[in-house]
Amino acid sequence: MMEEAVAPLLAGVTVVELSRGVAAGYAGRLLSTLGADTVLIEPPDGNPLRREPPFLPPAGEASALFAFLAAGKKSVICDLETAAGRVGLSVLLVATDVFIHDLSAGERANLEIDEQSLRSRYPNLIDVSVLPFGAVGPKAGWQAEEINLIHASGEGFLLPNGLAAELFPDRPPLKVYGHFAEYQGGVVAALGALSALIGREHGGAESVDVSVQDAALAVGAFALQRFGDGSLEHRRTRSFKYGGVLECADGYVELLTLEERQWRGLVELMGRPAWMLDPALADSLERSRRGAEINRAVRAWAREQQTADIVARAQALGVPMAKYASPAEVLSGAHERARELFQSVKIPGAGSLPVLSAPLHVDAAALRLKAGPPRLGEHQHLLTASRHRDQPRVIAEAS
Amino acid sequence: MKPLAGVRIADFTLHAAGPFCTHILSQLGAECIKVESAARPDIFRKPHPVYGRMGPASFDQVASNKLSVRINLKDARGVALARKLVGASDLVCESFRPGVMERLGLGYAALAALKPSVVMVSVSSSGQSGPDSHFAGYAPLFGAWGALGYLTGYEDGPPVEMRHVMDHSVGMNAAMAAVAAVYRLRRTGRGGHVDVSAREVACSLVGEALLFAAAGGSPTRIGNDHPRMAPHGVFRTRDEDRWLTIAVRSDDEWQALVKLMDAPHLLADPRFQSAASRHEHRRPLHGEIEHWTMTCEAGEAERMLQLAGIAAHVSCNMEDIAHDRHLRARGTVVDVEDTAGHSRAALKAPIRFSRSEVGMSRGTPRLGEDEDYVFGELLGLGREERQSLVDQQVIY
Repeated sequence: MMEEAVAPLLAGVTVVELSRGVAAGYAGRLLSTLGADTVLIEPPDGNPLRREPPFLPPAGEASALFAFLAAGKKSVICDLETAAGRVGLSVLLVATDVFIHDLSAGERANLEIDEQSLRSRYPNLIDVSVLPFGAVGPKAGWQAEEINLIHASGEGFLLPNGLAAELFPDRPPLKVYGHFAEYQGGVVAALGALSALIGREHGGAESVDVSVQDAALAVGAFALQRFGDGSLEHRRTRSFKYGGVLECADGYVELLTLEERQWRGLVELMGRPAWMLDPALADSLERSRRGAEINRAVRAWAREQQTADIVARAQALGVPMAKYASPAEVLSGAHERARELFQSVKIPGAGSLPVLSAPLHVDAAALRLKAGPPRLGEHQHLLTASRHRDQPRVIAEAS
Repeated sequence: MKPLAGVRIADFTLHAAGPFCTHILSQLGAECIKVESAARPDIFRKPHPVYGRMGPASFDQVASNKLSVRINLKDARGVALARKLVGASDLVCESFRPGVMERLGLGYAALAALKPSVVMVSVSSSGQSGPDSHFAGYAPLFGAWGALGYLTGYEDGPPVEMRHVMDHSVGMNAAMAAVAAVYRLRRTGRGGHVDVSAREVACSLVGEALLFAAAGGSPTRIGNDHPRMAPHGVFRTRDEDRWLTIAVRSDDEWQALVKLMDAPHLLADPRFQSAASRHEHRRPLHGEIEHWTMTCEAGEAERMLQLAGIAAHVSCNMEDIAHDRHLRARGTVVDVEDTAGHSRAALKAPIRFSRSEVGMSRGTPRLGEDEDYVFGELLGLGREERQSLVDQQVIY
């Protein structure tokens, strides 16, 4: 159903982000992609993520991480070491709905942007703190990177499972690739900001405290539920009894048959070999018991298969199976193209490249990336514009 | 008061991802009415022998804090009742395969015709559009489709399956987008359809790697390594299966670590003179670190490293989490009572507000527990009318 162009969900919302880390950066990115006008405050030498490898080939100048996280944002330099820089931040905050930051309590106090100061100076501002362990609690000041946080939230201890755990039982547990826990922190911070924005209508603005550890633990809720049931999950014992990661002739696929009809589909897919027709295997508990034996046969079969062929046949038979797609395969995927998951934007130092927009559609269309990542200080004029607009108020506050 | 107080959800979601979305929204104050039927109860009401559960769950995190009503959607009168519930709700959430809600007469177009301001959130494995939209999937498949599974793993090993965290990541994204849509509804009166694709959530979690690949780079599995930091990893300690994570970000931290290890020879080692050189020689470097951590008790080493300003944490299991003093102090881990009356650890929604409240006020609902309120008070069905619908297995 095509209609007239509809305003983005967050049209009219203004966000200022003062961040160093991935979690706060992703929160700002999500709000920006949903339609909020988002300004990234940077120090004179730029957001530290601009210097984080890997850098985009061939020039090797632009950080892939920064480019992904900053797409669609505006950049304003405020040197918060100086009075002028702090005034710059103030003039931006006057007209802002949401202020996202990852400053420690001490840094906030030094900059006079602690919770109380913000509340009295900007009564309508929603202040969202995004820290590794949150703003309060015994570990509030603790240091952490992604690898610490994925383990502080419990999921790290539980990985790998399945084939990798079987092949390397004595190796250390494994983190999820990239910034999994920190991205969870970003999603939760965006959720917190938006909830406070709705709550502001009836109760006024407030502060929001998000911890990356809490956020990553939240999505790991099932393991805590299992603990309450009396089972302490472990990476070596939580694997599926059969199926899982299968090595094929040209790559890996995932196979997961949880329902009876899916098992029957798998029997068809494998060409009804005699061992699978054993009446005892019609019972799901018996299949679980004989999981290792089933796996030996399924794995031997899979090694002779081509991924594209068996995935197509499996889906036709209702057998849940997917190829472990490489990034290049995802980028060129027909499905992803049809849904416009990636949109070409200009990246300073790297040219035009497809950047992931957001994992959702609204009103039957992909969300539009407004722009690529900004050059450092590209939108410095906003400071002047805001200063003129809000000059009376800034002077009044200063006096 | 909770921030989403006054928002009502007609919740048609099942399994993990969708119910997690509405569970989080309910903890933020939305009134969530879970629609089920005895003919198709949600998984937590059934035995799960694979997990050693031979009856219904006594506590199900994602079902908690919800109201439960029975509606048999296979009956046209059940669909009519569901439409009535939608008429009384702000938000409709569902996680069927694309097309199922349409076939039931409960698709977005039909519901928007009934109530133009309705916000609908659909959660599915590949989204509502595109050539693969009909694909069936579970968490490990979302991770496989979305490159997250391909990229996770030891550098010389296979890809790794994503489990429940994948489902719940989808649910968290859906909750975030749902609140954004409610925000527009409140501002403009306009409803809308939010279509969350689980495989795209997996992609979004490796968005930077996909961009690197788009530029011609080749992101691959790198185990616990980091593209810049070293030392960076998960290290054995003196106790069996007790691991310590350490990430060293700067020269200062490197020197502080060496001091803590009382290993001055490492400062003199030509391989470890600069960050780039330490990264290049990270295998022998990590051997040196583990030589030290093997003599340490993990918790004590964690404390000493943090005192020295170095990012470190024990690799926690769920027993650690359930009793963690920080998580308890923040109210992240709370005790709840299950349907058998036993206390157990559960999770509060992971957001602390300075003024607003968040959290669970009730546990896992019994099937149809809240029909007096929902069918009686909200929808105004009389006692006889309800009994008749029960007799005809519409309320079933």
